[in-house]
Amino acid sequence: MDPALRQLLILRLRGGLRQRLHQMASVRGLLFSLAFGVIIWLLITSSSSSGASAFGLSSLDRQAFSDQIITFMPLSMLGLSLLTVVMTTGPTFHFSPNEINFLFTGPFRRRDLIVYKFGAYVAGVTYTSVFITLIAPPQTGSALSVFIASLLTLVFVQLNSAVISMTGHALDGSRLAKIKWPAIAVLFAIAAVAMVHAWVTPDRGIFDLLFEFRHSWIGTIILIPYIVFAELFVAASVSQLALWALVAIAINAALLRAAIVLDERTTDRSLAENARLSNRWERIKQGGSFWATERTEMRSIRRAPHVAGLGPIAWRQALNALRNSSRLMIIFVGLAAGIAPMASALGAPVTQPHTLMIIYVFIAFILPRNLVCDFRGDLSRMEIYKTLPIAPWRICAGQLVVQVLLAYVIALTVIISALVFEDSVSTQVALVLAAFALPLTLLIYAVENTVHLLFPTKLVAMGRADFEFLGRSIVEFIAKTLFVFTAMGASGAVGLLTFKTMGPTWVLPGLASWLTLTLIGLLTVVALQFAFRRFAVAETID
Amino acid sequence: MITVTNFSKQYKGFTAVKNLSFSVEPGQILGLLGPNGAGKTTTLRTLCGIIPPSTGNLLVAGHDVVQAPISAKANLGYIPDDPRLFDTMTVWEHLAFTAAAYRLADFEEDAEALLASFELTHKRDTLVHNLSRGMRQKVAIACAFLHDPKVILFDEPLTGLDPQGIRGIQQAIRDRAQAGAAIIISSHLLSLFENLCTHIMVLNLGECRRFGTMEDLLSEVGHTDSTSALEEVYFSITQAQEQTSETAAA
Repeated sequence: MDPALRQLLILRLRGGLRQRLHQMASVRGLLFSLAFGVIIWLLITSSSSSGASAFGLSSLDRQAFSDQIITFMPLSMLGLSLLTVVMTTGPTFHFSPNEINFLFTGPFRRRDLIVYKFGAYVAGVTYTSVFITLIAPPQTGSALSVFIASLLTLVFVQLNSAVISMTGHALDGSRLAKIKWPAIAVLFAIAAVAMVHAWVTPDRGIFDLLFEFRHSWIGTIILIPYIVFAELFVAASVSQLALWALVAIAINAALLRAAIVLDERTTDRSLAENARLSNRWERIKQGGSFWATERTEMRSIRRAPHVAGLGPIAWRQALNALRNSSRLMIIFVGLAAGIAPMASALGAPVTQPHTLMIIYVFIAFILPRNLVCDFRGDLSRMEIYKTLPIAPWRICAGQLVVQVLLAYVIALTVIISALVFEDSVSTQVALVLAAFALPLTLLIYAVENTVHLLFPTKLVAMGRADFEFLGRSIVEFIAKTLFVFTAMGASGAVGLLTFKTMGPTWVLPGLASWLTLTLIGLLTVVALQFAFRRFAVAETID
Repeated sequence: MITVTNFSKQYKGFTAVKNLSFSVEPGQILGLLGPNGAGKTTTLRTLCGIIPPSTGNLLVAGHDVVQAPISAKANLGYIPDDPRLFDTMTVWEHLAFTAAAYRLADFEEDAEALLASFELTHKRDTLVHNLSRGMRQKVAIACAFLHDPKVILFDEPLTGLDPQGIRGIQQAIRDRAQAGAAIIISSHLLSLFENLCTHIMVLNLGECRRFGTMEDLLSEVGHTDSTSALEEVYFSITQAQEQTSETAAA
């Protein structure tokens, strides 16, 4: 690497470290970072003492766990590579606008710049690998083997995606590029046939089919490069680890070389991709989605509804959802639909507390963090809302309508999935769940928005080691969960009291319980209105 | 049309604006002039209801911005220095959104006219995040003009505009004033004030240093050859203030 670039890399790493230390110098930063550390420590200690982990992996011994990794890890990595092909553009070596302005005009060769970016990436994944090593299940090998395997695998994933994307760019306009979509269609058709076959064949699931493919001769040939990294994770001895690590390093080195060669042929496209990614990140920082439309023009919708002031706000968020989050929504609906069959296939039905907790985390943490069609995505546009001649409560209600409905659709998908795939979930239970899911969703997003307006913060972490952001996210989730569970407890208590006083039927107690939860949700919207009123738009003193 | 009486704004122990009083009548264009930190943006943001005043009364078209914010805002158009539009919405959809928010039933004809006057007709279906800063500024101004407000507040209206855009916006401001709107412009561009404003207020450290008609201010300095007359006024006021502060400190 060029000495100047090496120095720049060191300076940037030092700057990143200094930034984290400065974060922890403030009381808030220190508290949130400590909270993050304590929670992770609790996770690690509970994991190592009980061997508990998601979906019953605790029941697997080391050998069975290794078999799972050897079988499914190469398949997952192949899936990731195919996804990169489908999406055409993957995470190539991304240069920020600052780097383009400073480094592209400097006396550096392109290959030096690629190696510089690769160095920065390796530094980043070293941290990630330490983290993975800390939280790895006890059935995995030694800490050293987990660390080396994680590091080399993450480097491979990045380089592999970059090479696939760059190859795609280099082949643009050629004959090979024309067969891309037919080939993808064929692959999808094969996958669909396999799923239907697994569905209609008794005692034979999709995992059995994947297992057979992985251990067939053709599967082994296709998956050879990925198998190397799976072997790294399950290496039984130091000599085995060293052997597979050498092979992995050779593969990574070959991919890096390929990336440098391909980069020379795709410079223009690479610059366009860099600009595109930078724009995306800018939009994400302003509350947009990574999946937002990149079209320049759209057929305009001619009129917006008024509907007592709620209309224009809800209309704006509906357009936002349609153009910013529609792909994300499809993915979440797909995930929601797959929860019950997946849980069933892994032997952890949705009625188990452990699985219910995972579903709750999906609905109340992962979903709100990613699907953002409310105030949280509009912090930089609060000036507009503050100057509108619309009452604050109407603005708040308008902001929540689309977000709550979208999240409710996903919650309904989970319920329908459980109804279809889980024998113990009857139609009556599903209907009750569907009825309660609406006020519960309203409550979750009203709390989410109220907290966000009272204590506004960025929606994305600034780099891998943003402990303050991670700590704050977890603390907020715990606080929100306590509030939501208290509301559910109050709702349940009212239902129980009604049952004891009104008689043997469950209709009235259910209604009383539902009304209580709805009332708490509406009261939280009142709190949201208060938070909106007192929200101080960035106080520029000029 | 705009009446500000004894307005002050404090931020956590810091006074951004001190005891400000002025009024702007229909057809008048007031230029807010002052160095960074003088309190110009704070005054505009308080007038349009973004931030609450600490003390004082601010009336827009006869409505108090604290007591009757909805009525006040219905008569007001505000163009911030850095217009943050809604990405994923087209130019036309911004106008449709504004029309719905301000309850304008038949807005299409006016919207088309505004698009034409700001040379945005061919950008009607463009998503705003693909527009240049100058174009976004024009969209923000078109939205602010759509409901024909009686009061219009501009914060650095010419930022990012090309020469044609600058000329177009200046003409639009004149037209609005002639149609009876009361206008306040905050800017650092003295030439903009010389071209447009009927009145000038010089702010420094949150206090009003001079308020009067453009003619009155310019007559105080007399004719100068080397620099613009308003520039002379501006520096004489702000530098005199600095010297007074330094003498007091010594």
